[in-house]
Amino acid sequence: MNIIIVGNGKVGYTLAQYLSKDGHDITILDRNQQALNRASETLDVMCVRGNGANVKTLIEAGAEQTDVIIAVTGNDELNMVCCLAAKQLGAKYSIARIRDPEYTESLTLLQKKLDIDQVINPERTTAQEISRLLRFPFAINIESFAHGRVEMVEFRTEDRDAVLNTPLSRLHSRYPRIQFTAVQRNGSAFIPDGASVLLPGDRVYATGDRESVTQFFKHLGKDTQRLKSALLIGGGHISYYLAKIIAGMGVYLRLIEIDEKKCLRLADQLDGVMVINADGTDQEVLDSENVGDCGALICLTNRDEENLITGLYGARHGVKKVIVKVNRMNAMDVMDDLGIDSAVSPKLTTANAILRSVRALNNSRNSVVEKVYGMLGGQVEAYEFTALEGAPYLNIPLNQLNIRKGILVSVLVRERKCIIPFGSDRIEAGDTVILTAKAGTVVNLEDAFDITEIRR
Amino acid sequence: MNKRLLCHLVGNVVRVCGALMILPIIVSLIKRSGDTLPLLLSMLIALAVGTALALVQPRRDTLRAREGFAIVAFSWIIVSFLGGLPFFFSGHIPSLVDCFFETVSGFTTTGATILTDVEALPKGLLFWRSFTHWAGGMGVLVLSLALIPKMGARSIHLMRAESPGPSTDKLVPRVANNAKILYEIYVALSLFMVAALLFCGLDWYDSLTHMFGAAGTGGFGTYGDSIAHFNSAAVDIVVGIFMALFGVNFSIYYYLIHRNWRAAFGNSELRWYWIILLGVSAVVAVNIMPLYNGSFFTALRYSFFQASSIMTTTGYATADFDLWPQLSRVLLVMLMFIGASAGSTGGGIKVIRLQLLVKSMVRDIRRTVHPKSVNTVKLDGHTVDEGILSGVQGFFFAYILILLSAMVIVSLDGFSFETNFTAVLATLSNIGPGLGMVGPTGNFSAFSDLSKIVLSLCMLIGRLEVFPILMLFSPSAWKK
Repeated sequence: MNIIIVGNGKVGYTLAQYLSKDGHDITILDRNQQALNRASETLDVMCVRGNGANVKTLIEAGAEQTDVIIAVTGNDELNMVCCLAAKQLGAKYSIARIRDPEYTESLTLLQKKLDIDQVINPERTTAQEISRLLRFPFAINIESFAHGRVEMVEFRTEDRDAVLNTPLSRLHSRYPRIQFTAVQRNGSAFIPDGASVLLPGDRVYATGDRESVTQFFKHLGKDTQRLKSALLIGGGHISYYLAKIIAGMGVYLRLIEIDEKKCLRLADQLDGVMVINADGTDQEVLDSENVGDCGALICLTNRDEENLITGLYGARHGVKKVIVKVNRMNAMDVMDDLGIDSAVSPKLTTANAILRSVRALNNSRNSVVEKVYGMLGGQVEAYEFTALEGAPYLNIPLNQLNIRKGILVSVLVRERKCIIPFGSDRIEAGDTVILTAKAGTVVNLEDAFDITEIRR
Repeated sequence: MNKRLLCHLVGNVVRVCGALMILPIIVSLIKRSGDTLPLLLSMLIALAVGTALALVQPRRDTLRAREGFAIVAFSWIIVSFLGGLPFFFSGHIPSLVDCFFETVSGFTTTGATILTDVEALPKGLLFWRSFTHWAGGMGVLVLSLALIPKMGARSIHLMRAESPGPSTDKLVPRVANNAKILYEIYVALSLFMVAALLFCGLDWYDSLTHMFGAAGTGGFGTYGDSIAHFNSAAVDIVVGIFMALFGVNFSIYYYLIHRNWRAAFGNSELRWYWIILLGVSAVVAVNIMPLYNGSFFTALRYSFFQASSIMTTTGYATADFDLWPQLSRVLLVMLMFIGASAGSTGGGIKVIRLQLLVKSMVRDIRRTVHPKSVNTVKLDGHTVDEGILSGVQGFFFAYILILLSAMVIVSLDGFSFETNFTAVLATLSNIGPGLGMVGPTGNFSAFSDLSKIVLSLCMLIGRLEVFPILMLFSPSAWKK
């Protein structure tokens, strides 16, 4: 596809890098020559200098024939105008980053009037990610599929867990409503089969419907108790959205922000949140707020270093769940070594969200990609497809389908019911199929099966 | 410097070049010219050397600007050496320095020759000699980029180092597709030209070889008296017009194909190019009218052909312009400096650089009058980056400096000033013939080996636009 990316910041650059590798033709638009030089030196993309809202520049970048326009400049209004102008010129799909909370309330109207197909709000998406993590405090990552009916929860196995040292085929009979979809051991990820065994210290993805997943973790003895209190450091957009989301969860929430004006505004906008005007990175302040007794410590200031150090301080004082925001993406890998499991990056979240929807745009013959989710550092991907009428793999028992190696048909969702498939189950038209596979091996549902075998 | 990657990629280019030798072998078999063996031997050597180099596996595939420059420079030098082997093995050019000179002249599309009797060479070798123009015209690396699917995301540095012009802009996002588009346009124009020449009554061999010479804006012919051999107004006009077309920036043709009229006709370099070319043709025509019995149109036939041939830096001749009046000779030397458009197959300083130099000079004059005025140099409505502007000025200075220093070395041979000056200018600008001893009827055989090597370097420096070759001599580029 032809894709235009407006704004070559961290998000724009990351998107260009991945989408170009995926085989798309990328044109980057930016006002800053230095930013463009960096892209043209290291990526196989075309660069055009100019204002993305300028029709002449957009035409020069080929907006008339482009399939997708992605506006990710630092300016919400500019992003909206870019999408509007490109759509008018003939772009087929538009994605805009809009982050100001002022706009989020009127978003549906704006989206309709400005003809923007998708809006990405990095801060809100990040807040949602954090709120999911707070629901299962022991989880490293949580992703939902099929409109929230299926949940994929990543957790770390500990010594004496009940699931260890047993082949998965036996575990299946014990937990028939849970599928183990991916495992990471010593840094490398694999997709388990019936003979695989879980060892202590593995990062494992357990998948199933909400109820069963909760049951499963209860059975494991993991702490599924509701979070009672949380401490937020930093009062930016993410904190605002997060406070709104978890306000209904009955959590005692304290928010520490250094800027008095921001504090006043937050106190005005948010109900049921204790806003504290202090330096959240000051250990004195943390101690006086009894950081060790908090259910969760969430560090969301603008500085990676302060978030990290505060997070480490909290972890050392016994906080069970520490979530840290990082902007620099190469810092994500270091996190694991430091003992902080959960790190969120709004930039990476944005890039991933856009990447997923662009990949999902690559629609194929007999299936529709609803979602692509990268897990375990992007080594494994989970795909959500809808199987359409007329596909060759319909109504054939899975054990006769010749599923390709390294691909797992994880979950089927039929008539709102979640099915963990066994060899005798069949894919029917209209089913939601969730696959897990090594990254980059599957583009559409047919790729998972050896079709020539079926036709015979 | 990532030397393993350098070896690997240079090896790939050498392999492509070796594979291309299959064409003259086929021709020599058809023509039964008896030079199959030396060509086959050279092809095998080139393939062997290329494969050996390509076997070096790079540990990292980081390709930065300096690697791009070095790969391009080395590829051209090695390819020129290996491409000269058929002449050596056949015994027609016994000296290796002469073989190198002749092949560099071919690949850089210069067309300067050390052969005193071109027609003595067998048909297969002559075909190869002309074909090097075609391969070198659009660039051996751009060809490799189009043929070898994956040269990595950073191959833009290769294209930038090889494509002529102050800045290389992409037409489409992917480098490999850019290379393909350029070659598609190149091949299409070439086929049109062959068809036109066949229509003029030339046989397939002459059509092909002269198309190679014109398309690459090289200038090697298969006859001692160049295009004048055919003595046909139709051939003069066809070759004259096609040379001018190959001197146009190829992006223009891409815009035309995509009906982007504004980008195509709004291009000021294109306008300046045609104004200079047609203006000089007209003035020279008036100037040389007396030589052609006062007929303006006969004079224009010769003057347009010559102006087109010199400005596009081809170097074909239909008349001995060394015998023309002084004004015409001086104007032609001016054209040698200016050269063709950026992004074409031609050489020289390029029209766009001349435009930028003139515009920044005008700006400096304005600044003397209004010291506090703030001015930017604009081209086609876009402000030109100051970096590009100073790059152009640096390029111009380096060009003149190389011209003068090479002249000093060449003057050791003791020929006239006119010969020395135009010999260096004609090689540095990739034209071929100059004035005096190296005029359209002369050749470069009388120079000493030292001069020939210096002139060969001039051709490479001119074709690769100075900096890739000069960088090879910079120690800091090689330090770890």
